[in-house]
Amino acid sequence: MQITIHFHSYFKELTGCVETREEIRSDSTIADLFHRLSEKFPKLAAMEKSTLIAVGVEYQKKDYVLKEGDEVSLFPPVQGG
Amino acid sequence: MKRQLTIATEPIDEAALFAQREMSSGMGAAIYFLGVVRESEGAEKISAIDYETFHKMAEHQFSLLFDEMEKRWPIESVRLVHRIGVVKVSEPSLWVEIVAPHRGEAFAACQWLIDEMKRVVPIWKKPLSRV
Repeated sequence: MQITIHFHSYFKELTGCVETREEIRSDSTIADLFHRLSEKFPKLAAMEKSTLIAVGVEYQKKDYVLKEGDEVSLFPPVQGG
Repeated sequence: MKRQLTIATEPIDEAALFAQREMSSGMGAAIYFLGVVRESEGAEKISAIDYETFHKMAEHQFSLLFDEMEKRWPIESVRLVHRIGVVKVSEPSLWVEIVAPHRGEAFAACQWLIDEMKRVVPIWKKPLSRV
């Protein structure tokens, strides 16, 4: 299945893009996806511990099982105010 | 609880916000907080901060915070304005107003809301150096 991934803040500079698409197995988790993305964008790997992850507009943990059509967002800690 | 959320690039118009304030006769406290861009970020002197947001998620996360705030305190209204885009030093980036029966809950709710905003609402800042 195909998943769209959006990058925000300086993650756009780390990856060189605002979004990408990945074809993954149907039982894949966010952890699986992050591993795949770390291979594609090596600079992301170093940010793993501080990366925040959302599916749609909700935060999700690494064990979330992805579904067809999910839109995943990856971004650094937020800093509003 | 009445809610008003604005996330926009336009400068924050404090006078207009004050003019639009509504308080019922049972309310005894109206407090507001203004967050202003400082001239330094750590040791670096800056000219402005460029704020970025994931707008749809930011609106959703603010909505969840307002839901939680309503459970915790008897707030009559909350109004929050967060400016995005380039905000120059000494200009406001955040304006929050809470109307409640007493000052204690108004101050507590305002402090909590801003702390939680900084934890979960997807807004990021990029300091722009002086040239």
